[in-house]
Amino acid sequence: MTAVATSPSRATARRSTDNGGALAKAGPMTYVVAYLLVGLCLAPIAYIIIGGFRTNAQITESPSGLPAPWVVSNYVDVLTSSIFWQQVGNSLVAGIATTLGVVVLGVMVSYVIARYRFRGSNAMYSLFAAGLMFPMTVAITPLYILVRDLGLANSLGGIILPQIAFALPTTVIILVPFLRAIPKELEEAAAIDGAGRLGFFFRMVVPLSVPGVVTVGILAFVASWNSYMLPLFILNHESMYTLPLGVQAFASQYSVDTARVLAFTSLSMIPALIFFSLFERRIVGGLTGAVKG
Amino acid sequence: MSETTHNRINADTLHDGSSGTYLPVKGTVTTMATVTYDKASRIYPGTERPAVDQLDLHIEDGEFLVLVGPSGCGKSTSLRMLAGLEDVNGGRILIGDKDVTHIQPKDRDIAMVFQNYALYPHMTVADNMGFALKIAGTPKADIRARVEEAAKILDLTEYLDRKPKALSGGQRQRVAMGRAIVRQPQVFLMDEPLSNLDAKLRVQTRTQIASLQRRLGVTTVYVTHDQTEALTMGDRIAVLKDGLLQQVGTPRDMYDTPANVFVAGFIGSPAMNLGTFKVNGGFAEVGPARIPVSRAAIAALGAEDNGKITLGFRPESLDVVSQAEASAFPVEVNIVEELGSDAFVYGTLKGSLADADVHSGAGDNQVIVRIDPRNVPAKGERIFVAIRPGEEHLFGAGSGLRLPA
Repeated sequence: MTAVATSPSRATARRSTDNGGALAKAGPMTYVVAYLLVGLCLAPIAYIIIGGFRTNAQITESPSGLPAPWVVSNYVDVLTSSIFWQQVGNSLVAGIATTLGVVVLGVMVSYVIARYRFRGSNAMYSLFAAGLMFPMTVAITPLYILVRDLGLANSLGGIILPQIAFALPTTVIILVPFLRAIPKELEEAAAIDGAGRLGFFFRMVVPLSVPGVVTVGILAFVASWNSYMLPLFILNHESMYTLPLGVQAFASQYSVDTARVLAFTSLSMIPALIFFSLFERRIVGGLTGAVKG
Repeated sequence: MSETTHNRINADTLHDGSSGTYLPVKGTVTTMATVTYDKASRIYPGTERPAVDQLDLHIEDGEFLVLVGPSGCGKSTSLRMLAGLEDVNGGRILIGDKDVTHIQPKDRDIAMVFQNYALYPHMTVADNMGFALKIAGTPKADIRARVEEAAKILDLTEYLDRKPKALSGGQRQRVAMGRAIVRQPQVFLMDEPLSNLDAKLRVQTRTQIASLQRRLGVTTVYVTHDQTEALTMGDRIAVLKDGLLQQVGTPRDMYDTPANVFVAGFIGSPAMNLGTFKVNGGFAEVGPARIPVSRAAIAALGAEDNGKITLGFRPESLDVVSQAEASAFPVEVNIVEELGSDAFVYGTLKGSLADADVHSGAGDNQVIVRIDPRNVPAKGERIFVAIRPGEEHLFGAGSGLRLPA
């Protein structure tokens, strides 16, 4: 069995090296271009992170130099300040609540659109898709008034609800094809086995859509983590600020203390960076992978 | 949910009555799981012609019935109507004495094996097989015992903890069977369960399924497009075409006395040769040959038949004879197919056949003749064959219906 299984794969592997030799080997130019682009992307981030390890004097002296000596006091100051942790907490609460809301509502909406046959299901799908073309910038003033009238101004709820709404289009667009790909026979088999529509949803759809759900969950979380404009309008007290707002406030407060601002900035983006690089593979998997029967 | 649980408990007490054995053994099931289609019709929305047209069919308790026909004949639809996956637009369907026409699939006490198996990809083999019982709220220990029992029968014990992805096609097929067995249903429904297997495995699995069904004694409705599967597996066969039931009978009935031209051409491999010939003075004129036609058959010919008769003869009903015989007709050999145990000549009927319309499984104007594999004619050679007396099939040329011999 194993021999049968391995020999073809070995054969294809060999064939691909044989045939693809000329194609697979990259010329030196490829590396130059690739490293150039990677460098362009990474340089600002590296500058911010490394800049946090310098003093303001060092930065004025040689703006692009390396820290000499390395100073950790900027980072220590930020990490020991209560306002930073307060804002990390706010960002986490907003991010997690948004993610949960998006995932729960998104899976429910997508399941109905994908697998129920009813009049207007296509129109509803188009409606959600149209949401993609609706920028938050346009809606921000009425949205602010609405949130204020709901009594959610200056509270995390006031940013969580609109964020869920604005993340739903992407979620629905990603999840509907994903759920449509679940074979019809699976639903029929489950129906004969005694699972109703809800039973099928909880026992089949939910476990089978985990890769897609992870994708939309991460996208929603990162979007919420980086969201700036909405909190800017809704939140007006520093204790309620999320990290992007906090960075902004911190920057204007310590505008002369460049090194400390750099440290604050890098600390606020690192969680999202780590999160994204950890799950990057699963995001792609959720976008491409359908359910295999 | 509570309703389901309630139903399952009833069914379980019924089955577990035979202490020790978890699987129903022939004779211990007390209800009569007959299946009756009573003028059941299915018309798909937006279509004129019914996909299944007033199907009348009665399946006995413990019987293995095969629904067979070309694609689009309504066989799968009929099965899905019985499963409750397809609405019934007219008539009734009964399981035992219970009218199930408008009952949910889960309450029909049936189990179905799908063509692509429809195994739950995120569950292990054991969970797949025990899923229905789990939904029904059967105690875990019982589920485990029943799953293990079924796994033993199907040789799946070592794979119980694997996911379907890690199984071969044949193993997946067995898991799908196991899922049906574990439920101990009144009726098994199988929708072309072998068509995703390779040829050799299909033949093996065919006999396994048939013997398993005999052993369990559970009423089974089996859909296939393969007439060999139908002949080898079924207690009885029902042939459908265009949503209409053509004939029901044992494999022997179908082979020996096909009710019409369609069944005659469909059942048997290689297919029967069928030709339409003029009847003249009690004889059908097949080229130079004159084949006697009984008085009763001629009397049964109607106006629509226009004095012509459709003569059917199986490749295995032909003998190679000398030219001198009155009933011999010439066949020019196009190709010879040698199978070791048999050899088949694919040839063209020769002679004055102006009005004749001959066809067979090999195509128009072709006839197939089984010959002695040790004495094979050459390509292009002309052989004379005669139909063995009593082995010809006569049909009205217009009606297509069988004529009395």
